[in-house]
Amino acid sequence: MNISVLYAAIIYSSMLGLMSFGVTFVKITSNVWNVAHTSFITFAAYIVFTFESFYGNSPYLYLPLGFIIGAFLAIIEYLLIIDPLRKRGSSSLLMLVSTIAFLLIVDGIIDIYSDYLQNIYKFPSKNFILSYLDFNFLGFNGIFLFSFTFLIIILILLYLILTYTKFGIALRASVDDPILASVTGINIKYVNIFAWFIAGGTAGIAGALLPMWTQCFPGVGDTFLAIIFSVSIVGGVQQIYGTFLGSFLIGFIQIFGILGLSIIFGSSILVYQYLIPMIIMILVLLFLPEGLGKINFRKIIINIKKRRQKK
Amino acid sequence: MNIFILFVVDLFALFSVYLVLNLALNFQLGYGGVPNFGLVLSFTGGAMVMGWLPIRILGWLFKIPESLMSNVAGNSSIIASIINTNLQTNPLLGLGILIITLILGMAFGAFLGFISSLPAIRLKSDYLAISLLALGVILYYIGLNYFPLVGGTLGVVVPDLYTYFGINRYIIVTVIFFIIIVLLIYILTLIVNSPYGRVLRAMRDNEIAASSMGKNVIKIRMQSMVIGSMIAALAGGMYASYNAYFGIAGYDMSSWTFIPWLMVLFGGLANNYGVILGTFIYVTLEKLIAYFQYNLTFLPFNVIWLQYILLGFLVLIILIYRPKGLLPEKPSQTLSKNKVKELKS
Repeated sequence: MNISVLYAAIIYSSMLGLMSFGVTFVKITSNVWNVAHTSFITFAAYIVFTFESFYGNSPYLYLPLGFIIGAFLAIIEYLLIIDPLRKRGSSSLLMLVSTIAFLLIVDGIIDIYSDYLQNIYKFPSKNFILSYLDFNFLGFNGIFLFSFTFLIIILILLYLILTYTKFGIALRASVDDPILASVTGINIKYVNIFAWFIAGGTAGIAGALLPMWTQCFPGVGDTFLAIIFSVSIVGGVQQIYGTFLGSFLIGFIQIFGILGLSIIFGSSILVYQYLIPMIIMILVLLFLPEGLGKINFRKIIINIKKRRQKK
Repeated sequence: MNIFILFVVDLFALFSVYLVLNLALNFQLGYGGVPNFGLVLSFTGGAMVMGWLPIRILGWLFKIPESLMSNVAGNSSIIASIINTNLQTNPLLGLGILIITLILGMAFGAFLGFISSLPAIRLKSDYLAISLLALGVILYYIGLNYFPLVGGTLGVVVPDLYTYFGINRYIIVTVIFFIIIVLLIYILTLIVNSPYGRVLRAMRDNEIAASSMGKNVIKIRMQSMVIGSMIAALAGGMYASYNAYFGIAGYDMSSWTFIPWLMVLFGGLANNYGVILGTFIYVTLEKLIAYFQYNLTFLPFNVIWLQYILLGFLVLIILIYRPKGLLPEKPSQTLSKNKVKELKS
């Protein structure tokens, strides 16, 4: 196995995981597919670009700003749009449409901001990349270390919060049965705000890392829209961990699959790599419509152990 | 041509394209309850047929040298200019090719609607919407990367099928698009007021009740996807023929899925008149902003971005305070207007 390809696959999968996690988390907790999620990613990328352009330093220093801006936008969206719509008894489809309207607004603001940076400060804000500022540590570059580490940290933190804290139990209860949870005294609104805060924050981190990984422009987050939702569908919306499985499955199949196909069909096939997530999604919808998260791995392992013992 | 007339004609052309697309969405979403977030797929399909087919048929008919035809996508501007010169004396050929291409584009759109609905149609509501959204970009990636199809990122020049009419081209386009709109609204009104239309609404309102009455919900949902996709492809063909150009970069999800969704919900779901109103308001706003943008060059940004912000705000206000849109749905007509008058008297 070519180690550099494995390296690229891990970075790609980790970035997909970071970008998609919030979509699934919000779907699980609030039953809303948040299309505007991609605009949080773009916004955070622009915040990092702005601070780096004005003050220099490593772009990684501005990661907390990415988190804050993503979380801030998500909470604004929840409080000003989703919550009022929910109080009026809007359907999940109508809430989905409202997130598209919010996406248009944020995208419009990003476009204006990008024009402003270009026209007033002469920054190359229409197309920028900051990967030349990346560092190297023990043979690994920063984007690899940060994207993968953040993904693991989020996974562990969420596991701990959801399993061992009262708040986590309240969150799970409100997901399973919001009416019953509110009867027992759980404030559903606060639980949702927390979920949107975390979801927006992780999107912000993904966005802040984006300029270190790929070319950025207004609407860069939107180019990942279909892939992000494919990851979410492939992972399933029953388990948060499904997203991580989905992102690594899609990321690895996309990178290694297209490489394998290029050996057979030639390098011209490489440009079709973005079709792979859609193909995986179609297969999952056909054969496993509830996604990977629905697979009971524990049960599978127990069954395998039982079979071995019998032998 | 007077600049004001040109502005109005251009506005009408864009209005017509968006209206046909929005009527397709309204048929699927408003009447059938199918949240097609992959609208861009069949729209692009219809436009792609317009970018691919006429240049090849007319190139063959006008015996364009093989040296040029061997790379149609690469030589499209030269081939199209030769074709346009020939079409200037053949008005009927141009219109005939236009009609044939639109019909074939619709057939391709129907096929795309059917294929894309296969893996997802059993899903429900927003889950179905998101699956269709992800599937919607497939054609975009193919068109973008396979150069011989429609010129990849460069695009292809489409022969100007209205070229015979010279300076009156835009007036003829307006007339043709107007006929298409009138016919489409008439047919759709007939369908939604027919027993089939009532089945669509029944399925949308209560799937279980509809299936308990013996209706095959999956089949009807697929039919509404196919019919809607066919109409969306017609819009795509109209758009590419009007521009006399097909460039895949212009067929993005935001412009051809998200904005139509917002226009339909803004105007009023399951009400074709509401859709007309919503489309008219948005397109007029867009064209006015584009028209006056050069008077606002002192601003440090392009005012064109304001249209998205404005549309976003308008839709949010409508969703929160008037969720059924400007013109809400009306009960379907089960009797003709004359019959109603007769009964009233």
